[in-house]
Amino acid sequence: MIVGIPRALIYWKQPCFWETFFENLGFEILLSPKTNKEIVEMGVKVADPETCFSNKVYWGHLLWLDGKCDLIFVPRLKAVAEASLHLSPHPASRSSVTEEKLEYCPKFFGLPDLAKILVKTPILTETFDERKEKFEKTLEKLGKKINKNKKEIKKAAENAFLKGKELKEKEKQDFFKKIQTKKPKIILISHPYNLFDDYVNLRMKEKLEKLGAGPIFIDEVPIRMQNAKYKMQNWPKFHWEFGKEIMEKIRTILNYKIAGAIEISSFACGCDAVIKEFVEKEFKQNKIPFLYLMIDEHTGEAGIQTRLEAFMDTLS
Amino acid sequence: MEKPIITFARWGNYTIAFKTLFEQLGLEVIPPEKTNSQTIAEGAKIAPEMYCFPMKVTLGNYLPALKRGANTIFMVQNVGGSCRQRYYGAIQEKVLKEAGHQINFLDFRATPKDVYRAIKKISGASLWQILKAGRFFFKKLGLIEKIEKLAQYYRPREAKKGTTDRLLADTFSELEKINDEKDFSRLKKESLQELREIEVKEKKDLPKIGLVGEIYTVCDPTINFEVESKLGREGIEVHREMDITYHLKKLIFPWKDWIIQRKINPYLKSTVGGHGRDAIYEMLKYIKEDFDGIIHLLPFQCMPEVTVRPILEKIHQESGIPFLSLSLDEQTAEAGIDTRLEAFVDVVRNHHKKKHLTSNI
Repeated sequence: MIVGIPRALIYWKQPCFWETFFENLGFEILLSPKTNKEIVEMGVKVADPETCFSNKVYWGHLLWLDGKCDLIFVPRLKAVAEASLHLSPHPASRSSVTEEKLEYCPKFFGLPDLAKILVKTPILTETFDERKEKFEKTLEKLGKKINKNKKEIKKAAENAFLKGKELKEKEKQDFFKKIQTKKPKIILISHPYNLFDDYVNLRMKEKLEKLGAGPIFIDEVPIRMQNAKYKMQNWPKFHWEFGKEIMEKIRTILNYKIAGAIEISSFACGCDAVIKEFVEKEFKQNKIPFLYLMIDEHTGEAGIQTRLEAFMDTLS
Repeated sequence: MEKPIITFARWGNYTIAFKTLFEQLGLEVIPPEKTNSQTIAEGAKIAPEMYCFPMKVTLGNYLPALKRGANTIFMVQNVGGSCRQRYYGAIQEKVLKEAGHQINFLDFRATPKDVYRAIKKISGASLWQILKAGRFFFKKLGLIEKIEKLAQYYRPREAKKGTTDRLLADTFSELEKINDEKDFSRLKKESLQELREIEVKEKKDLPKIGLVGEIYTVCDPTINFEVESKLGREGIEVHREMDITYHLKKLIFPWKDWIIQRKINPYLKSTVGGHGRDAIYEMLKYIKEDFDGIIHLLPFQCMPEVTVRPILEKIHQESGIPFLSLSLDEQTAEAGIDTRLEAFVDVVRNHHKKKHLTSNI
């Protein structure tokens, strides 16, 4: 049996986790390819014109998988306990263990239902809401749907957690290596599905490196909030999992000497409209140059290149 | 502390009721300016570009009131569940302070306890006074909603075009001035009487349109370019379920949400924030009640409504009911909306006629 996983949007929240999980259960995995022009075009054609660019890309990946596999896995991510964020390599480190439950973007809530309308392949889904039940428990429920018993699920999940942890460790070491570079350090702020998808962000990282900068992704920054000084919040209490995280990570990165900050936002992202205000404020207060870039299916590479060049000039 | 002078977010005709609420608490009120293209432009100028439309509109409504001396703004936080409405207060406060306004922003979650505490702190009114003001507020609100509902019925049927709308405007301006419960009962009786006495053309089966979508755009006629009265004048009966009472009822009695969820389960198995689920539920309901068309109103890029729109479109394809989705923002022009409405009205009439023909056979 082949399980299809779209390599977009929620995939980047927990990369490797789901592949390892299903592989360990004895399924064959079909991961959609890295985003390319055809995928984006397919997605844009079927998507609602006002939904965010990241969602449109996701539809493209779904359509690519349609007919090529027996099941497509689209989890319904609703809420996550901060403590369990450690299972993904990106979000918060284990140090900040508070039992607060934070929500995902509301656009994720409807993904499986909308996917059902879009593709003919059956959708495999389960609701992950840690306000109601533990992550492990939901996995067991998911296992029932694919005829796997508790033991098998537990083992597969453990392996997947381990893999995630490995990635996280590697990332942490990478961060400290990157932070020591002599090049002007630029922090890239966005959601993982914009940062790690090279086609979507128009190879921003590569472009910055060519211009002589040392780009750092916000996801790679570890959170260190023990110091009371950082607890002075300049932002409202976000109920989104990424809102709080991004703000706290920005506080951490401000301790290091960084030359500039770039926020990438996909067009029509509702959550970014809120967060951007506070991100910008934070950098402005610290007198760090800030650039806000919007990406969508019409963004041209030349336009981004010009803006990045101009931004780099302001740094020196 | 200087004396608080209150202004608040404008919301269609319900503004009258809110104004009364604050006045009854013994507070000085400068009501927000009526929405027009200028206030919208002013609001959009200082608001974050990507933010949703109602936030820009309400921001624009505050500005003239602030100019005239208001210094305290009221905003509730949880109209939208998990959508951006939650941050309206935070963002508006930030934006207004950056624009150089010295204001006191009261941003609270609308649980009865918080509302009570916020009101108590600002007005110093006694519990009795608050209850009395609340009662009067709900009375006025009830009347406004009732009149709006009646108008939806009388508009397409009136013999002389424009009678209902004129009556509505008169009643609302009268209602705004009333500060006494006795006067209120008199006005209520009179206005309902007058409405019921509107001369109607022969009673016949009219085409019906259901209005679904985001609560603010659906309820505020100044934002949606008076969709209701435009359709009414074209001889179409408009229905909408969404209003403040509906929303408050849902806040107080959660089982309404459970019923809605059960009804829409084949289409959507989760909340998507805001009133996303309600739009699907209402559309299904209207189809069951044999309506001739659905109009879906939403602010541009509204997160919940955009998420459910593909589902509404699917229902439309399955059932064949005419469906029109209009997203509104500061760049929407009235002429554009009019053209689309006119075309849609034709479709609805045809649908109605066809149904009529087949049912007679």
